Amino acid sequence: MAVVFDGVAYGLQLGLLAVGLTMIYGLGGVLNLAHGQFAVLAAIAIAVLSDRLPTPAALVAGLAIAALAALATDATIMRAVYRLDGEARVLLSLLLTIGLAFVIDGLLIYNYPFTQLKLSVPGPAVDILGVPMRRGSLAASALALSALALLIVFLRYTRRGRAVRSVIQDEEGAQLCGIDPARVRTAVFALSGALAGLAAVAEGLTSSVSATDGTELTILALIVTVVGGLGSVAGALLAGLLLGLVYTMSQVYIGTYVTLVILLLTAMVTILIRPAGLLGRGV
Amino acid sequence: MLQVEDLDAGYGESLAVHAVSLHVDGGEAVAVIGSNGAGKTTLLRAICGLLRPRAGTVTFNSESLVGEPAHRIARRGVAYVPAERHLFPAMSVQENLELGAYPLRADRRQLELVFELFPRLRDLLSQQAGTMSGGEQQMLAVGRALMSRPGLLMLDEPTTGLAPILAEEAYASLGVLRGEGTTVLVAEQQVPLALDLADRAYVIEDGRIQMEGPAGDLQGNPDVRRAYMGIA
Repeated sequence: MAVVFDGVAYGLQLGLLAVGLTMIYGLGGVLNLAHGQFAVLAAIAIAVLSDRLPTPAALVAGLAIAALAALATDATIMRAVYRLDGEARVLLSLLLTIGLAFVIDGLLIYNYPFTQLKLSVPGPAVDILGVPMRRGSLAASALALSALALLIVFLRYTRRGRAVRSVIQDEEGAQLCGIDPARVRTAVFALSGALAGLAAVAEGLTSSVSATDGTELTILALIVTVVGGLGSVAGALLAGLLLGLVYTMSQVYIGTYVTLVILLLTAMVTILIRPAGLLGRGV
Repeated sequence: MLQVEDLDAGYGESLAVHAVSLHVDGGEAVAVIGSNGAGKTTLLRAICGLLRPRAGTVTFNSESLVGEPAHRIARRGVAYVPAERHLFPAMSVQENLELGAYPLRADRRQLELVFELFPRLRDLLSQQAGTMSGGEQQMLAVGRALMSRPGLLMLDEPTTGLAPILAEEAYASLGVLRGEGTTVLVAEQQVPLALDLADRAYVIEDGRIQMEGPAGDLQGNPDVRRAYMGIA
């Protein structure tokens, strides 16, 4: 039972990490390989700023910094990417964002080699259905769950959220309805930066985030996105939960050292059975 | 209302539309007829901004549309219903219709007008667009375009993929719209249907306008009858 709870908790975090990536793919057919780096950027910013600011202010500032970095990326290198079509567009996005990832990694590791984001929620473990859960883990789950719920409400029930889904489902149809796909992409890119930052906060509540974690987070987000189905928000959530459960179970029952291998095997098997991912395309 | 002068447009190296001039006056129904590949789709896409014209001018209510992006042309009141419809497949009929009115925010009265024209859509309100039949999708595509209360409704082959009886129904509803005073520009290769609807028509071949005139005259023209209506 405890394993299942831990798996769900981790799964929610993975889902939160992946939703931004999958939305960007859905909107423009591009992959952002600096996604995990945006998460780490937020984490390091929060860790550094919390020496000077009260924690809530540092959190808000950190998320804002990640969103601004994403916005700057959209305004510069993504401009060039969106000018291309089809395969060339995906390829250029991969090349440019992996370069960006190296730059962010380099800057953060050079300037903040020992900084860690570690957020502790003091107090004894809370009993949930007979399972003692750490408060940090509960807080991380609550954070991920509410962020994802808000995102889904935004996409389903608000006018602007529908505009986002319309561009994902049919860009030309959206244009004919008077919606500017470029503006939607910019807004969602910024949002994805903030969501990556939130995922880092959740990670900081359960363990810790340091400057070297960007690549691992990017890879995790990528695996979740591909397993869930590129472009599908619900798929990212489902795949996050699946992989979170697999991850914790394999850690407990098999061993930490093969966990990443098992995670990748799960992803490979899923993709072999369903090449489009769990929930294919559509939001 | 719409004025196109010497328009050149195309994809890649070649031009699919050469020096086309046409005009549509307010309240008029105008047809552009021609066979497959004659340049009809390219012409409409160049007007609504999905394709940037190579040369020539397009003015709508005396404002130039050339170089404007498609979403801004849509906001100016030029609604375009492409042959492939471009609905939002994973969204309900209601969501599709509401998105049609995106710049204005959905309007209950406009929704009622669409239901008056297509009562079937009211019954399908919560159905996903991607799961509907071709005829229903065509109704939804026209309904979505009408939600923006367009000044000009442009349709590309509204009969695409429809059985003959449904094609006739589609044109019957366009006839209702025309009767209500909606300005319509339709591109069509099912020439008899289009000429029945239209006040005037242009015949386009190889990207050039070959003939133009009142629809009734073209219906009686032996060349048009032979080439497009299967009548010797």
